[in-house]
Amino acid sequence: MAGPKSSSKSSSASSETSAAIATLWKSYLDETPDRLKFIDAFLSFIVLSGALQFMYCVLVTNYPFNAFLAGFASSVGQFVLTASLRAQVNPENRSEFKEVSPERAFADFALGSIVLHFFVFNFLG
Amino acid sequence: MRLLSSAFVALLAFARLSFAASSSGDSVLVLLDTSLDRENYSIFFGGLEKRGYSLTFRAPKDASPAITDYDVPNFDHVIFFSPEAKSYAQDITPQSLVGLLSEKTNLLIALSPKQTPLTSLATEFSLILPPPETPLISHHPVRSERPTTIPVAVSSSSPLLTPGIPPVWFSGAPHALGNNPMLVPILRAPAESFAADSTDDTGADGIVDATEKGGEGLWAGSQMGLVTGFQTNVNSRVVFAGGIDLFSDEYARKELPSGTPSGNSQFARDIATWVFQETLTLRIDSVEHHRVNQTEAPEMYTTNDEIVYTAHISSYDSRTSTWKPYSGIGDLQLEFTMLDPHIRTSLPPVPGSPGAYQVQFRAPDRHGVFKFILNWKRKGYSYLSSSTTVPVVPPRHDGYPRFLSAAWPYYTGAISTSAGFFLFAALWLAGDVKGERKKGSKAE
Repeated sequence: MAGPKSSSKSSSASSETSAAIATLWKSYLDETPDRLKFIDAFLSFIVLSGALQFMYCVLVTNYPFNAFLAGFASSVGQFVLTASLRAQVNPENRSEFKEVSPERAFADFALGSIVLHFFVFNFLG
Repeated sequence: MRLLSSAFVALLAFARLSFAASSSGDSVLVLLDTSLDRENYSIFFGGLEKRGYSLTFRAPKDASPAITDYDVPNFDHVIFFSPEAKSYAQDITPQSLVGLLSEKTNLLIALSPKQTPLTSLATEFSLILPPPETPLISHHPVRSERPTTIPVAVSSSSPLLTPGIPPVWFSGAPHALGNNPMLVPILRAPAESFAADSTDDTGADGIVDATEKGGEGLWAGSQMGLVTGFQTNVNSRVVFAGGIDLFSDEYARKELPSGTPSGNSQFARDIATWVFQETLTLRIDSVEHHRVNQTEAPEMYTTNDEIVYTAHISSYDSRTSTWKPYSGIGDLQLEFTMLDPHIRTSLPPVPGSPGAYQVQFRAPDRHGVFKFILNWKRKGYSYLSSSTTVPVVPPRHDGYPRFLSAAWPYYTGAISTSAGFFLFAALWLAGDVKGERKKGSKAE
């Protein structure tokens, strides 16, 4: 007797979480502007690349450690810059970033990224 | 006419000089005791003179010619045939004889059963002499001579003797060899011989007691040496012979109990050629080191460099009085040392070039000041040693290996992030332009 009830409870629990996730995803797709979705796509690509490099370092070898640091720092730094761009460009945050126009934010982002890549390729060895 | 004859004599003199058989000079001082007659050793001395040595005879008690003048040796070699004299002139002391060896003068010393200053000198060379007046005695093989005149078989294991020498006659005192690795045993006593203090075996009981006590004072057997050499750190040589009769004409001409002639003259000649630096004399001509595919020695090496080390070794050929390249060393070793040898490898001879020994190895991963050490010491042969100091530095900032295959995931990660950034920026700006055009058209 307790079995089917608990199973239905757990299945309802799992279906609740899956329903919540589905609602979250749907609202994300409907409500975020296209530009922010574009930035999010770039962010997820950077996260994937950084995670792959970290997995390789942990599982296989960290032999050229400077190369690992350079590649991983490239991913992390690029993620931080892009995330800050997304925060500054988001129309919902307009009240917090009054003196920073979206163009200014993008210029900062581009300059920071150029400097980051310069350092990364120097350290990559 | 006189000019011609004097020129001829001068030429002859020069010819004699050019046939000098020793690598370190041919002037020999013979300290012959006044009680001994030079004619009794004519085979030995005549053989030396025929080989090109110029012998100067002097009694040990005479003051001139002195063996050194203000610490400079006057002669290249000294033969000390004064086994029973108890005192010498002022310039001959054990200290002055050892000083001669430091100045690369070779010595040939004959000992005797009597106690003389030479006894204490021999002790300095790790030779332990038996109690005084205990000559070597052997009752085998059966022979008509006294028991103190013994035919001794010559073993073929010593590299300085020519193989196949018949047994030699010997009479004198044996000695025990100490622990010094610089000693070169040449002739050992027969197994059935012993040292006792008279010929009617009154001391033989002492020997028997010693065997039961465990060997202390056991002056018997082939553990005793009769003729022993010693090579010093500067490659000067000294030979202690237990008795002087070994070199005499009488023993050279005496027949062995088996009827064949004795080997005394050949044996004495072999000892003399070894002591006077004719045979088994080697030297390092030059050493070179460089990187593979280069010829000049660089000022400093980098860690993990491939280094080639070459040594050129020659030996003295007494027949032509020249140093000839010698490739006969099979166990030469090279050590690459910084406090401890990091690399120890064999240095084999190069098949095509005589006298050249070469090895290639990789410098260790440590930086520091290293030395190429060549250190070869074998009994009877000259000691070879050479040390070359060389710095090994870590790679310069651009000397490290680049584009390692193990790092390709990191390279692709960094490059893809940069490429993604450029693509993102291009698309973002393109979107901006499109948006402006749309806005502009909308506003209109």
